[in-house]
Amino acid sequence: MTRGAPWLPLLAALLACDGGLQPAPEPSACPPGFVGICGTVRFRGSVPDNTDDVYVVAYPSFPQSPDDLFTFRPAIPPQLPLGDSIAFYLLPLEPGRYEWVLAVWKMAGTLTVETADSLLREAGFYRDPTDTTRPGVVGVPVGASADSIDFVVDFTNMRRVSDWFPGAPLPTPLPPP
Amino acid sequence: MRRSVAGFAWLGLAAGPLAAQGVVYGAVRDPAGAPLPDAWVAVAGTALLVQTDAGGAYRIARVPPGRVTVRAARIGYAPESRAVEVAGGDSARVDFVLTPTPLPLAPIDVTTTRTARLDEPAVTSIAVISERELAGRAVNTVAEAVDRAPGVQFLDGQINIRGSTGYVQGLGARVLLLVDGVPVNQGDRGGINWDILPVDQVQRVEIVKGASSSLYGSSALGGVVHVVTRETPPGVHGRVRATAGAYADPPHPEWTFRDRTGLHGGADVTLSYGNGPFRGRFAGGARRSDGYREQDGREHWQLAGRGEWRFSPESDLRVSGAWAVDDYAVPLSWCTRGQCDDRGQAYQPFKVDTTERGAHTVSRKGYLEATFARLASARVRWQARASWVRTRFNDYRPSAVDHSVANRLGAEARLEAHPSNTRHVTVGAEAARADVESNIFGSHTQGEYAAYGESEQPLGAARLTVGARTDFLVVDGAGATAVVSPRIGAVLPGRSGAWRASVGRGFRAPSLAERFVRTTALGFEVIPNPNLDPETFWTWELGHARALSPRARMDVALFWTDARRLIEPVIVIESGVPKIQFRNLARARLAGLDLAVTASPLTSRLVGSLAYTYLHARELARDTLPERPLAFRPRHLATASADYDLAPFGVGADFRYMSRLDRVDVYPDDPRVAAKVFDLRASYRRGPLQVHLLLANALNYIYALVPRTLAPVRTVSVTLTWIY
Repeated sequence: MTRGAPWLPLLAALLACDGGLQPAPEPSACPPGFVGICGTVRFRGSVPDNTDDVYVVAYPSFPQSPDDLFTFRPAIPPQLPLGDSIAFYLLPLEPGRYEWVLAVWKMAGTLTVETADSLLREAGFYRDPTDTTRPGVVGVPVGASADSIDFVVDFTNMRRVSDWFPGAPLPTPLPPP
Repeated sequence: MRRSVAGFAWLGLAAGPLAAQGVVYGAVRDPAGAPLPDAWVAVAGTALLVQTDAGGAYRIARVPPGRVTVRAARIGYAPESRAVEVAGGDSARVDFVLTPTPLPLAPIDVTTTRTARLDEPAVTSIAVISERELAGRAVNTVAEAVDRAPGVQFLDGQINIRGSTGYVQGLGARVLLLVDGVPVNQGDRGGINWDILPVDQVQRVEIVKGASSSLYGSSALGGVVHVVTRETPPGVHGRVRATAGAYADPPHPEWTFRDRTGLHGGADVTLSYGNGPFRGRFAGGARRSDGYREQDGREHWQLAGRGEWRFSPESDLRVSGAWAVDDYAVPLSWCTRGQCDDRGQAYQPFKVDTTERGAHTVSRKGYLEATFARLASARVRWQARASWVRTRFNDYRPSAVDHSVANRLGAEARLEAHPSNTRHVTVGAEAARADVESNIFGSHTQGEYAAYGESEQPLGAARLTVGARTDFLVVDGAGATAVVSPRIGAVLPGRSGAWRASVGRGFRAPSLAERFVRTTALGFEVIPNPNLDPETFWTWELGHARALSPRARMDVALFWTDARRLIEPVIVIESGVPKIQFRNLARARLAGLDLAVTASPLTSRLVGSLAYTYLHARELARDTLPERPLAFRPRHLATASADYDLAPFGVGADFRYMSRLDRVDVYPDDPRVAAKVFDLRASYRRGPLQVHLLLANALNYIYALVPRTLAPVRTVSVTLTWIY
């Protein structure tokens, strides 16, 4: 150890002056280096009292049956902030093609295949710009992000997820839960 | 005695008739002639070891006749050895004058071989936190002191030795905690309650790095932390310790969460009495803290006691225990956008998600142990121990109430023998039974039954250590899983240093919580996995310790660990539904370098130390997953300290650096930074009074080590200790 060694803590302290966590205003675009999907959600209607959470999820393939319901990404999806009429979201995803990007409203309760249809609602989804009745497909490039995947969450017009499975009757809006 | 000698004759340990034994006595002083109490004195190659009394005097009976080497050592002094001829039935006086050394080297180690070793290099790396360092750091729990040891890192209360544990949210520790030799890891979760023992009762902490299951069994795969409590002096004594302090406010107005300064404080009182063969002490105390973030208040009460009865110079019985109760608000994950009054911020590190506001936990934990030890002859010492560790918690949340009560009953018999002056054998048997009663872990039991042995003998110029332990694990009374944990090591002493090398296997039995937990976490159902296997480590180490000069010492070690069947929580799909389950999954490799340098340049009043750990921790490829960094392991860990002693005043500083975590398991896109924590210390000692000032995280560096959990902010603490 050199003669100056005992002063290393002081030197190190000077180096420590920088960095650390800083205040971070809500982002309005995908941050640099982020891999996934970003966008803005606009809320319509008031948040139901029995709301547990509202999540944003993405499906690589459109679910065809209740068994496919839990193939969403990411495994731990981000929750949407519900305080304002508009919210920015970041959805970290592996690079690839995603056929359905949607907001899922959840009522309190333990989620299983049996309870999914009663606890979950599709509250809004990203739409195909050329045919807004259909979900829009989103591609996440390798090492990059897909920005401006904006859509509306309408609490007055939520649907059972099973309404979207092939063969189901034409989706009809449900009354507010 | 005669029966004992006959009983051990098969080991070649007979010490001959009593009349043929001698006595060595004397005093240990400093160069000015002042007596040195609490110095250790031992007869080399035997089980004979004593401490000096308040007058610096010592007396060792049962010394084998002939030429023996007597050693004396005390922290802060250079150890001394003297050869003396002892005649049977006679006594010999050996006085020591120990020279102060500016380097505070620990003279004794009771952990690496499970027996006391005086001033002997060990086959594995060991770090010791002395009583003076504990006092100087003015900490409130043992964890806060251990956190500054080289190669050790805490993640929200979970200890990592060379990256062993990572962060598993309190379920299972890959480090074993001993209090006076008693394992005190929780019976249900396998984790560690660091506040089970008042820090004011601690005399020193020994930290053994690397797999130590060959002596200690389950959990000792990353290392062992051994808390050694104070000896009780003769006469009436008292000790009062009071602490008070404050937490810094958030450094940015956007993060403000309360309109007053958070405070903390507490007091401990210890009374002791020793007379003839009886010694006892009792301690009680309480602490209260507002916490440094929202929903972070804590109240703590504690009791501790220890009694000793010395039947004869050769036999003693010790009964000790501690009990602590905590009522603490559960510091929930920090708030993200929309989950609180976020003020337009993406996250609020000082605030919590409002949905579970009001959650709190009442935790009760304690242990009771009785140890009988007997010196059967100069070459044989044995002891028997029984212990009981109990933990209980109640989690009160708006959405659920969880509870668990766990007991861990243990028993051990151990024999330490010195068949010759250069050979040392330790053998023992240990049994433990854990049970749990819980709404989330169910009602289950786990038994661990083991036998172990280790031998140390010369091999040329080196000392060779070979040992092994076999554990049988029984869960709910069915079946038995056997685990064998061998270790081989060698020490090659030289003129100014020693080389050491060791290879050992460690294991950890799955905790009852990991096997049987059934709850909800992160919105997912957590399901049990009763078929978990023990996880195992193979560890090797090559180390070298040497004096660089009379004022500088260095210890360097290369280490490599191959971890198999690591138990981790993973998301599994059961009947199409994602759930969380603990599984034996990962195979990992942790390799790196530990370097520690201690020096006293310029003047003996100044002591500086520098510790650095480089850790290359990789989870190896499996199934479709490629090789990747092991989660929650920093690549670089460095600690620098300096202390200047200007009696009666002293000042010091610590700096701790931990590089940004390469990988975390949850919320990987949250902001994470390196940890850079700078502490300042000052002290005043005069007569029976000690005052310590600690300014922890003096620069108020804001960081998080585990997901969405703010690490402690700048905290000022003043501790007054009065000793009678």
